[in-house]
Amino acid sequence: MTDSEYEKRYRQAPCGLLSTDISGVVLEANDTFLDWIGYPADRVIGSAFTRLLDAGSQLFFETRHTQALHLRGSVREVALRLKRADGSVLPVLVNSELRRDEQPAVVRTAVFDTTDRLRYETDLLQARKAAESSEERVRLLQDVSSVFEGSATDEEVAESFAALCREAFAATETAVLLRDGTGGMRVVGGANPLAGTVPPIASLRNTTDVIAVHADDAEPEFPVLAAGLREARLESLSIAPLMNDGESLGVLVCFFRRHREFDERSFDLKRALGRQAAQTLVRIRLQRRLEHLALYDQLTGVANRQLLQQSLDAAIGISARANEPLALVFLDLDEFKSINDRWGHAAGDTVLREVASRLREAVRAGDIVGRIGGDEFVAICANSDPHDGESIAERILAVTHEPILLQGVAITVAVSAGIATYRPGTDPRPTGDQLLIRADAAMYSSKTAGKGRVTLEPRPVG
Amino acid sequence: MLPVVSSDVLRRNNVRITGNPAGRVLVFAHGFGCSQAAWNLVAPEFEAEFRVVLFDHVGAGDSDLTAYDRGKYDSLDGYADDLLEILEAADLQDVVFIGHSVSAMIGVLASNRDPSRFGSLILVGPSPRYVNDDGYTGGFEPADIRDLLDALDANYLGWSAVAAPMIMGNPDRPELGERLTQSFCSTDPDIARHFAHVTFLSDNRADLERVTVPTLVIQCTDDLIAPVEVGRYVHEAIPHSALAVLSTTGHIPILSGAPEVVAAIRRYLA
Repeated sequence: MTDSEYEKRYRQAPCGLLSTDISGVVLEANDTFLDWIGYPADRVIGSAFTRLLDAGSQLFFETRHTQALHLRGSVREVALRLKRADGSVLPVLVNSELRRDEQPAVVRTAVFDTTDRLRYETDLLQARKAAESSEERVRLLQDVSSVFEGSATDEEVAESFAALCREAFAATETAVLLRDGTGGMRVVGGANPLAGTVPPIASLRNTTDVIAVHADDAEPEFPVLAAGLREARLESLSIAPLMNDGESLGVLVCFFRRHREFDERSFDLKRALGRQAAQTLVRIRLQRRLEHLALYDQLTGVANRQLLQQSLDAAIGISARANEPLALVFLDLDEFKSINDRWGHAAGDTVLREVASRLREAVRAGDIVGRIGGDEFVAICANSDPHDGESIAERILAVTHEPILLQGVAITVAVSAGIATYRPGTDPRPTGDQLLIRADAAMYSSKTAGKGRVTLEPRPVG
Repeated sequence: MLPVVSSDVLRRNNVRITGNPAGRVLVFAHGFGCSQAAWNLVAPEFEAEFRVVLFDHVGAGDSDLTAYDRGKYDSLDGYADDLLEILEAADLQDVVFIGHSVSAMIGVLASNRDPSRFGSLILVGPSPRYVNDDGYTGGFEPADIRDLLDALDANYLGWSAVAAPMIMGNPDRPELGERLTQSFCSTDPDIARHFAHVTFLSDNRADLERVTVPTLVIQCTDDLIAPVEVGRYVHEAIPHSALAVLSTTGHIPILSGAPEVVAAIRRYLA
């Protein structure tokens, strides 16, 4: 074959062929390439190949393709977009090889038109991305729901919610704030990097829809927040309310070190997650309420018989293991029936509530008080010898004897008390029921001895 | 946060320390799209005289991919944290930090946070913001960045290690081949995508004026990614900085014009 035939094959090859120097300046290009690109040879030769690419391809080529080519020596099937003279874009696949054996080193490149294939691949890619993003959404919602299933407390829900959202939204920090009983909010999960520098902003915390705030445009509306964000090197934050039935139980706040643009999809996802967290909180709070109902006396709020029995059994076990004495104080109101008869049952309930509340104040921290039925109350006092039990009982009698106002009239209530004790090592270990019966019997001695007094169960002589 | 053990840091970032143990410390940091291998033609030139430290950003090269925390690495600050941890773990002082491309800004952030460990900064092709803004020309529009992300997706396969043959046939420099590992310039495509977001959508202009460390800006001719106006902007914004404009073209002078980069660094350190 003659040189001119070789040259013809080069010029008219069914693909673009070009050579560039090591810094990417085009040294030569064949006719096919020049036809595709639409510029005359003198516009192409001598200028950088990247000038022929659209901006996205330029970024990719300069940051990725060039480094890979230099280090690997060749790159294969790189997808780029050529910017033609008429302004249209030609998608191409490029193979390049760096020839260091030539002096000076040269890069040889073959370019293939991939208009049709790329359109097809782009469609596929778009479809895949759409599928992936909806799959991601479903997966996140599922992850959240399975984590929530295992959560029993507000703290567990808030911590796991904060952790999952930090990962899912690539946030520097996340914080879950929940409303407390006083109308304020506190951080229950995650961390608030603005705590201590930015005071609470009610309009943000009470939002009923997802909102975003950016450090660079928050200045006019929230100057303190804008300064706090800059101080903490944060640029954006998003706030998602935890909504249930139109009521906000708290917020999820995501903090970002980088200015973020949030699209409607991400807002929508945060809305859905916020609803899910709120529903979980409602569920576990209801559960907690049911447990409370089952174990606490509804009238007075102190432990009911069931919880008292459980607690007493546990207290006897602890007392035995720790070798510490245990005192059980049994209390019965004197003449309670006559209060009911004279003032009515509602007034009787008021007296019971007041007595229970005073009882709680009279015992030591850690003692357990409960209502065992009717007008009978019990206090379980750990680490108390008979003497301690007696002084606790005397204190109870004193505070319950203070006047109680009923319909504007001050009445006084007297209480009879009986104490039974368990001294490990000295006494045989009783069951809870046995100890209760003994304390009840001691209380009964107080009644027969004239009421309004404390009786310590008689100790066996010897 | 738990205290980070130094050996963990060195392994996490695949830190390599070579060169003259008695020499001044040069820390080289690679940019987006590759790994410490990007310094293969520059770093060895300094080994006789300097102590040379190379590392991979988490997510790149032979770094520990399990350490990739999307929240932490959602801003350049997370990378700056790592850099400071590396300097502490290897107990490096009076460091000359040489950062290419996005790593230039990572060095700026780290030195602003703790200037005490830095002797000087050398920023190769820096840009504090790639996207144009009112009164500022970064070179790109937001749509261009979206196109780049599409280009990353279209080149999904190219990120994996599968297509990384051991080529670097350079009979004059056999040691180069040994330096390469199978994984250079390879990474997880999702991480590449996230790093691209962080690199090209960050705005660190306000950090430049806070630099207190002596700084050299190395700017190439005809760099589309970090145009000469951006290099000038960086030079003017950083107090008492010097500017060296190279005749090498493009954004990767550390590979395409290594001798000129080496000479510029040497001149500055002389």
